[in-house]
Amino acid sequence: MTLTRRQALGAAAVGTLPLALAGCGFVPSAAPSKAAAGTIAFTTWGTDAELAGFRSVIASFEKAHPGAEVTLNAVPYEQMFTNIDAQLQAGNPPDVFRVPYYTFGSYAGGDQLLDLSKHLPSGFADRFTPQAWAAVQQGGKPFGVPHHTDTNVIFYNRKALSDAGVTSVPTSADSAWTWSEFRAVAQKLRSSLPSNRYPFAYNWQGNGVTRWLNWLFQDDGRFLSSDLKSAAIDSTQGRAAIDFTRTFFPDRLVPKNDFVKSSTYAADAFANESVAMVFSGAFAIPDTDGLKFEWGSTFSPRQARGGSDFGGNALVATKAAGGKAELIAEFFDHVTQEAQMRTFCEGASLLPTRQDLVSDGISFTVRPELSKVSVGQASLVRASDSGQVASPNMSKIITVLQTQLDTAFVGGRGAAATATAAAAGITAAVA
Amino acid sequence: MTAVAAAPSRRPERRRRHRGDAAAYGFIAPNLGLLALFVVVPLVGTLVLSLQRTNGFGGGVFVGLENYARLFADPLFWRASANTALSTVLVTGLSLGLGLLTALLLNAALPARAVLRSILILPMAVSSVASALIGKLVFDENAGVLNALLQAVGLPAVSWQSGGAPAFASVVLVTLWLRLGFNMLIYLAALQGVGRDLIEAATLDGAGARQRIRYVVVPMLGPATFFLLVIDVVYSFQVFDVVFVLTGGGPQNATDVLVTYAYQNGFVTRDQGYAAAIGVVLLVVAVVFAVVQWNTSRTRDLTE
Amino acid sequence: MTAATTPLTRRRATGRVARRRLVVALRTLAAVVVAIVVAFPLYWMAVVALSTRSDLLSGSLRLIPSSLTLDNFARVFERFPVWTWFGNSVAIAVVVALITVTLNTLAGYAFAHLRFRGSTLLFFVALGTLTLPVQVIMVALFQLTTSLGLYGSYWAVILPTSASAVGLLLSRQFMLSIPRDLIEAARLDGAGHLRVFRSIVIPLSRPLLAVLFFLTLLASWNDFAWPLIALKENRLFTLPIGLLYLQSENGPDYNTTMAFALLDVAPMVVLFLVFQRYFVQGFARSGIR
Repeated sequence: MTLTRRQALGAAAVGTLPLALAGCGFVPSAAPSKAAAGTIAFTTWGTDAELAGFRSVIASFEKAHPGAEVTLNAVPYEQMFTNIDAQLQAGNPPDVFRVPYYTFGSYAGGDQLLDLSKHLPSGFADRFTPQAWAAVQQGGKPFGVPHHTDTNVIFYNRKALSDAGVTSVPTSADSAWTWSEFRAVAQKLRSSLPSNRYPFAYNWQGNGVTRWLNWLFQDDGRFLSSDLKSAAIDSTQGRAAIDFTRTFFPDRLVPKNDFVKSSTYAADAFANESVAMVFSGAFAIPDTDGLKFEWGSTFSPRQARGGSDFGGNALVATKAAGGKAELIAEFFDHVTQEAQMRTFCEGASLLPTRQDLVSDGISFTVRPELSKVSVGQASLVRASDSGQVASPNMSKIITVLQTQLDTAFVGGRGAAATATAAAAGITAAVA
Repeated sequence: MTAVAAAPSRRPERRRRHRGDAAAYGFIAPNLGLLALFVVVPLVGTLVLSLQRTNGFGGGVFVGLENYARLFADPLFWRASANTALSTVLVTGLSLGLGLLTALLLNAALPARAVLRSILILPMAVSSVASALIGKLVFDENAGVLNALLQAVGLPAVSWQSGGAPAFASVVLVTLWLRLGFNMLIYLAALQGVGRDLIEAATLDGAGARQRIRYVVVPMLGPATFFLLVIDVVYSFQVFDVVFVLTGGGPQNATDVLVTYAYQNGFVTRDQGYAAAIGVVLLVVAVVFAVVQWNTSRTRDLTE
Repeated sequence: MTAATTPLTRRRATGRVARRRLVVALRTLAAVVVAIVVAFPLYWMAVVALSTRSDLLSGSLRLIPSSLTLDNFARVFERFPVWTWFGNSVAIAVVVALITVTLNTLAGYAFAHLRFRGSTLLFFVALGTLTLPVQVIMVALFQLTTSLGLYGSYWAVILPTSASAVGLLLSRQFMLSIPRDLIEAARLDGAGHLRVFRSIVIPLSRPLLAVLFFLTLLASWNDFAWPLIALKENRLFTLPIGLLYLQSENGPDYNTTMAFALLDVAPMVVLFLVFQRYFVQGFARSGIR
């Protein structure tokens, strides 16, 4: 849509509409671009705990920077990015927004974000883990800050496991179940559970399909070449990961509605005791307060190596906010300070991206004893894994993975054919 | 459309019509002006967009009919088209059929008729988002109440989510639930227009129940059926919330319809030009249908 | 002979009565079954909204809840500014309904009773807009509302939503049933079109106005695709958008979701039940049959 047409429309119609009705909501609030200098418009979604964390970090930023103001706009996650896109296209986006790492690439690659390299303090990169810093790079430049991460571990229902004769679970990343050990546990559960309950559910629904890649990473595979310009999924590792995961369905290790494009999330099945284990990020821990059964967490399986997703979210600034680059950089610097990150992550059950916090460890407010497993799991993520997910074409690749994996999971197509089709789709997506 | 039949153009007549024109335009201007501004203008924008190759954000490049050419080679587009057609036929057919049936049931003297009628039209007040959420709760393959009920009476559980046909059925059922009340209400209004005396006359003439329905009731219901047909088809074309929330188009695109497919392309993979082309196709089909329907009904009105 | 036929006729008569009773019983049964099927999802929504999470365990079918709780509602009110959103929903729906009904009846009168050039074409174009799903034009519409300076206020929802032709069709059909003689008599007495509209057409159109107002109110209350895009901030949201907060991976459970859904649905259901008599009458007289 061209600017000229928009301007013409605006000029033609603005004067003719009497919109003078005063009162709350009937007068447009000031557009972010017209806001007084020193105000940052920040759009995010969030759980109660996350929003509380953002509010407290904003308060401490405003206190440390008199005259600066951050307006927090909390919106629903579902379709938040539909809105952000519409706002970007209309030239009216927020200054700063929160974005999952798998969505980051399409905004950075689409030339919508502010290049922060000139504005961040020197040595800024050093505070983060390499995998976290890799997740916000585009063409070698930072277009955001890694605010927090999260990654898949296994939540298990204690009673269901002990009923099946599984009396201990791995307590360190090195002793995590191998694929075959994991499968053996699942099969034990299968034989002990009634037919309408299942050993586990996997959280690859929706954009969570990026968490299927965990299996690929565990087998030391890739889905994109190291220059991110061609597909690498049609490999021994790729086929092995597809083959291993697709058998979950015919072997009845997961519920039938646990496929990728299902509208039911895996966590629901765990909560209503349809499954004995669920793959989940730590973010879900506060939501489990209503569960009536005892549960714990353990590490994701490993194969050639340990591995899981670099989940969580970055904070990014839009290009339109370029005039406030210095203020925004100060805000980003502030929110990734040790104390701020610790408070946010502990309160919201998320994982730190700072080196020092990863080595010192953090302690979740809810179920602190589960912190160690999640932090340990996240340290297994490699920069080469998170860097692939930062591809500018990730949105299209996600659609390819959803379609192709469901053809294997629901449609029953074999691993080799699926890997070939997925590679073709990814090749088209990065072209 | 008798009101707008062209009058022979004699001079004085025309001058009078000119004066009338001004008043008439004054009456329609606010409504049509708003429509022009908020529907036609964006529609033109969409048409322009459908001729562009877009890459995520910002301006596109004009590529002529490339997006339309892509459509014809896209199996998912055809799948979504077939789904749209099938769900339109099913939802429309079932809404009309069940609407008439329930209207006939409730048109007779029944105990608690008012209560029954209230219950049947109640879903009209429920939003499609809320209905889809209720649908999720009911059709959940593991924990849903419907499968539990089926199993309680000895029937097998149904793959409402992982099976293509059952998932499609769940979308049709939720949509039907939303639409039934409206269809019944319109038929009920029409049946009250048929009038008891006409039916009683037919009964006296020895017509059986079936004959009464076939020769007296059905022909009298023509206009209502026509109205509902148009409204139901147009509604079915636009079903979005139910699919979006209940199945997300899955499993394996079994429930994708044109609107959700356009949305997926426009807002998820950010291929707005392509999404606009899908929208234009949808619009053309809907308009053609409406015009054909209108013409058929006009001819029928004239011949009868 | 008479002695012989009377019992027979009587028997026939009682047979007919019995058969009629059977028919009524069967009809009632059928209607009750349909009503149960239609009502069940709403019943189930209420049950889940009033139950604890553990009552929803897989495999256990409890059609009547073992205990009721208001905890889910308490959680909804604690987590979300429900009253603000409720107020927004009311304000937007009422303004939309007022604007739409006014514009639709004005135009409906013109299309029903005035002859003017281009009326067929304009009528078809107006109806044609009905076939357009908003998702198709969403990007362009968003750009338009932004350039008009509406984005960030209720008007971004109200004006595009009020651009509707649903009521136009209904108005025209209804007003065609107003006798032309009546209007022409008033015209001959020197009344202008606006006067005729105000003092003849509108008083005769009360059932139509009731139906239209309620239908528009309902549609606007339940609308979600466009308000979701057009309302920028949390404080402007309507209830259906709030409902969307519950739709995500880390959204709460079915119980809380259904409690919120019930809060969203209940006002319209209650209004509907209270006003349905006028509503049904309005339809019966709207000429759509």
